[in-house]
Amino acid sequence: MTASNEPGASPGGPSETPAIPIHLRPARAADVPAIVPLLLRLKRLNEEFDPLLKVRDDAEAQAKSVLAAQLDDPKSVLLAAEGVGADKDKVVGFVRAVVRERPFYTPEFEGVITDIYLLPLYRRHGVGEYLLKEVSTALKAKGAGVVVAEFPAQNEIAIRFYAKRGFRPIQLLHARSL
Amino acid sequence: MAESTAAPVEPGRAARRPARARRSSSTRSEGKTTALGHRAVALSRFYQGKIETVPKVPVRSLRDFALWYTPGVAEVSRAIQADPDLAFELTGRWNTIAIATDGSRVLGLGDIGPRAALPVMEGKALLFKWLGGVDAIPLPIAAKTPEEFVQVVESLAPAFGGINLEDIASPKCFGILETLQQRLPIPVWHDDQLGTAAATIAGLLNALALTHRSVRSTRTVLLGAGAANLVTARLLIALGHDPHRLTLVDHRGILDAERNDVDELMLRNPWKYRLALRTNGGGRRGDLAAALEGADVLIAASTPVPGTVRPEHVRAMAHDPIVFALANPVPEIWPEVAREAGAAIVATGRSDFPNQVNNSLIFPAVFRGVLDARARAIPDEIVIAAAQQLARHAQDKGLSPSHLLPTMEEVEVFPHLAAAVGDTAVSLGIAGRRRTHDEFLERARAIMGRSARLVRALARAHLTPAMPSARALGERKVA
Repeated sequence: MTASNEPGASPGGPSETPAIPIHLRPARAADVPAIVPLLLRLKRLNEEFDPLLKVRDDAEAQAKSVLAAQLDDPKSVLLAAEGVGADKDKVVGFVRAVVRERPFYTPEFEGVITDIYLLPLYRRHGVGEYLLKEVSTALKAKGAGVVVAEFPAQNEIAIRFYAKRGFRPIQLLHARSL
Repeated sequence: MAESTAAPVEPGRAARRPARARRSSSTRSEGKTTALGHRAVALSRFYQGKIETVPKVPVRSLRDFALWYTPGVAEVSRAIQADPDLAFELTGRWNTIAIATDGSRVLGLGDIGPRAALPVMEGKALLFKWLGGVDAIPLPIAAKTPEEFVQVVESLAPAFGGINLEDIASPKCFGILETLQQRLPIPVWHDDQLGTAAATIAGLLNALALTHRSVRSTRTVLLGAGAANLVTARLLIALGHDPHRLTLVDHRGILDAERNDVDELMLRNPWKYRLALRTNGGGRRGDLAAALEGADVLIAASTPVPGTVRPEHVRAMAHDPIVFALANPVPEIWPEVAREAGAAIVATGRSDFPNQVNNSLIFPAVFRGVLDARARAIPDEIVIAAAQQLARHAQDKGLSPSHLLPTMEEVEVFPHLAAAVGDTAVSLGIAGRRRTHDEFLERARAIMGRSARLVRALARAHLTPAMPSARALGERKVA
């Protein structure tokens, strides 16, 4: 999760009525080339938070195949964010999520948001809210009874974003090198 | 003395020197710099420091200490305890500032640490006293983190009427300045950001006037995105410059909202990130050459390597372009090279060329003004007022392409600048002591004049020994 809610002045100066500057739709195979660099930006941002999130040299090739596989996977959600107006047809962000089974807990299925990325100029203006609502709807339609966000532990921006929207930590991943 | 006029483009990228032979003026100047360095070391050994504390009350005999010190002084303390503001009237706090540094970016020397930064802070303190009549205490601080640095300065603040931050690396200098400005009820200034930006803006306003341009319709390129240029950008926007017509360029090229490192900037340098989102309308991509195509103004505060800006860069700019090459000690392009390439107006950070953009024109008077107004802060309005007053002073003397700014010799500029700063503090409602323009002016003249007289009187009385010759110091001859 990057900064759909990065604090500070809004980029366009004193804000007009904030119209949501993006439109979300299910991603298509043709979107993959545009989503790959955005996915890599997000992974490189994650790398800033922890050396155990160091991005692999073959990350680009990985991104292509992972995204392609995800398009065919009924348990996955991949949404493309398009600009509006002059930026229509430009992919400016994406959301990736997957439905996982919880064999011992109820609800039985969780929808895990693994990646959200938007180019900086398309952040704020309530965009994060919109993204979260859309992906939650898609995950619920696939049977998820709980929505989970996965992001680096040090990403304070993401922590604040989700906390504000009713998320709380339920499990922690603690790691060390081997 | 054009100290710390340049902000670094991140280090390690200085090797863009063109193959052509170095110009003779550069060689000459390097020789001179080395000789000055030798002499400075010898003189420092001779004088063993540049400032000292001097009593400002009569001491007729030890008996007077019953007043200046205990028991009499206890009543003064009680008065301040009852009304803390009285510290500004009953002690020297009204005129005393700290020059606080962590030594992380000293002159062009880099991260040399607080101990090695001390001679520079002493020099700055001397400038403060000589030009502004301000008692400035050099305060290098061995702090490992910005938080620790802030904590130390905050703890020391009761002794001071203002804080001058000095030679702190970018981008941490932005966070340190912002935090201290929020926490302290006294003016906090970072000269490498605000002083340099104010002097730059002053010169630029006059350069725009001379070339019949308005800040609102100008296209400006800032090369180097360090302490000075990020603030110059902010002030330009505050003055009405269209952010879309502003382009910042650093060692990675044009700063743009979609550049690959923009998320990293969001985390590490939000000040630069914010400008990345607002500037460069139309989304130009590429290097300095791409940015300068058709630009009216170039303000370079980057790497002290001539050839960082090349003649073809200047030739690609709009008609009668304005070129500020502010890196020290060596400008990004030599003035004569820039002019041959068509620059209508050229400014540098050096005193040996016309149009020296020099923060020493700004900071002594800004502090004189805020201290005399007992201002609670130094908002951008004050920085801009100082810049505008400096510009006006040059206008009154007659603008020309080689006279954009007053020189350091035009000492009458300082009290006028101080008065403009005081007036602005009053009109912003942040002055603890409201005075009229004439009162500010007279007070500044009196304090600054006394300071200069004091230095001369100490010399006449041989209390400061006369400057020894190179020979007397057993030094090699100065070239």
